[in-house]
Amino acid sequence: MILRGLLYVGNEPSKDSETAKPIQGVPNPTYEWMGLTNEWGIRVKPGEHGLRLGDVNVGIYGEVPERWEDQTRRPRGALPRPGIPPLPYSLRSKHEMWADCAANLYEEAIQRRWIPATEVPWDLLAELPEDVERSVCQICTELSQCANTELEIITYWQDQMSYGYFEVKQYLATATFDCARHLEVLRKRALSNGGGLGLESRGRVNRMILESSGGWTEAVVYLYLLRGTYLTRLLAGLLEYAHNDAESYIYSHMLEDHARHLTYGYDHLKYAATHHKGGAAIMRTLLAIGEGMFAAEIEDPIVKSAMAIIFGGGIEGGRTFGMERYLLLIREFLQDYLELCSWLGVDREETLHPKLKQYLEI
Amino acid sequence: MAVFPSEQWFREVREVYNSDTSLHSGGGGACDSKAGLGIGDKYYKIEFAGLECANVGVCSESDLSEADFIIEMPMDAWVTMIKDVQGNGKASSNQTLNSLDLDHEDGIARSPIDDQYRQDLFYRYNQNFQDFFNASSRVTTTF
Repeated sequence: MILRGLLYVGNEPSKDSETAKPIQGVPNPTYEWMGLTNEWGIRVKPGEHGLRLGDVNVGIYGEVPERWEDQTRRPRGALPRPGIPPLPYSLRSKHEMWADCAANLYEEAIQRRWIPATEVPWDLLAELPEDVERSVCQICTELSQCANTELEIITYWQDQMSYGYFEVKQYLATATFDCARHLEVLRKRALSNGGGLGLESRGRVNRMILESSGGWTEAVVYLYLLRGTYLTRLLAGLLEYAHNDAESYIYSHMLEDHARHLTYGYDHLKYAATHHKGGAAIMRTLLAIGEGMFAAEIEDPIVKSAMAIIFGGGIEGGRTFGMERYLLLIREFLQDYLELCSWLGVDREETLHPKLKQYLEI
Repeated sequence: MAVFPSEQWFREVREVYNSDTSLHSGGGGACDSKAGLGIGDKYYKIEFAGLECANVGVCSESDLSEADFIIEMPMDAWVTMIKDVQGNGKASSNQTLNSLDLDHEDGIARSPIDDQYRQDLFYRYNQNFQDFFNASSRVTTTF
């Protein structure tokens, strides 16, 4: 009723055309805007998977230009209106953000959303030895900072992406929501089994990602190719050593979300490397810098020992099998990373940072 | 009683999986993927569409050139995994697709045409495939 009052100040408009009175000051509508369209008569039919974002990319609506000069919020395909003040979109070239899979990933993300509050079987959490609980909570703390970094860097750059590439902007909106969900579920895990949050991360790589000011592609190099590939192995390891069905649910679903993020990231980097002259060389330089920072981060004893304790089932096992398992995780991450770099055309095998190379030799 | 691996066995698992949505924990959402399974020297294609396993059947390796990815393991590894599911009602932590992928030197999933994007579907839809194999706990199986 309050809303009703707000919507109708005074008498409610009459629907009866004979009794309706003209409202003073409001001219008769001319409908001159009708017919002002770039392309009319589009009638896309739903396919076997429904009416998906990519399906309506038909006619001029499906034309994705290499450069989007328009600095307004004009939806792609809509008729431009003269005199609209420009907005500060700094990313206006396709190679700066594009990935062919973005529209499909958007659909996938909204279809595969999950609800930590009710879908994680929280009642199946079981008491763990204190050293293991502390380690799980420390990893939750670290991972939640990673999720927060991802969320912040996406939203920072998303704001600067032109509307001509709306598929990417929409997909990234789902990625930020995924990150929020990860923050939520990690916090809930840490606070629901007798523990609490642990020590704040030094955050070297987080800072490197957040300070990557050369463009979104630069951020993607650090966020997904370097750190994201590592996080995949970390989450897969946590899933393998999950202590109960609640943790299995959490890690498996985080892993699926994260895999979607990496699919966009890798696809974008492939696009940027092949459609932007010098793009691969820039990535190679960025990686040479980033690997050093990343090597310093994984040398940090906190994540290393916490993961070893989780893998080893306690401090004792962490000193032997657990640490061996963690070092294997790092080696497998580096193998994935080098393979991806090679696929992108930015071979790193010969010039991999020496501190990372040593993990391959263990 | 169905023999693993056989088309009959996969059909029975598919029926169980499709008829009980409580078995679908994978992302709570749609899965659209055509995958292959390499079981020893036998090959099967499996297709998920939306919330269901739409198709499953025997095929040749060359039929899988259009698959998003192929999950491939030696016969004894498959048998160990299925026996584990049968015994526990679902895969133990060291017998999930995720764990087996980690434990195999080159992983267990590959793209038949080296397409990174489509191979990633193995990770994005991992739980749907896990749920499918977990559903086999309700199918009386011989080997």
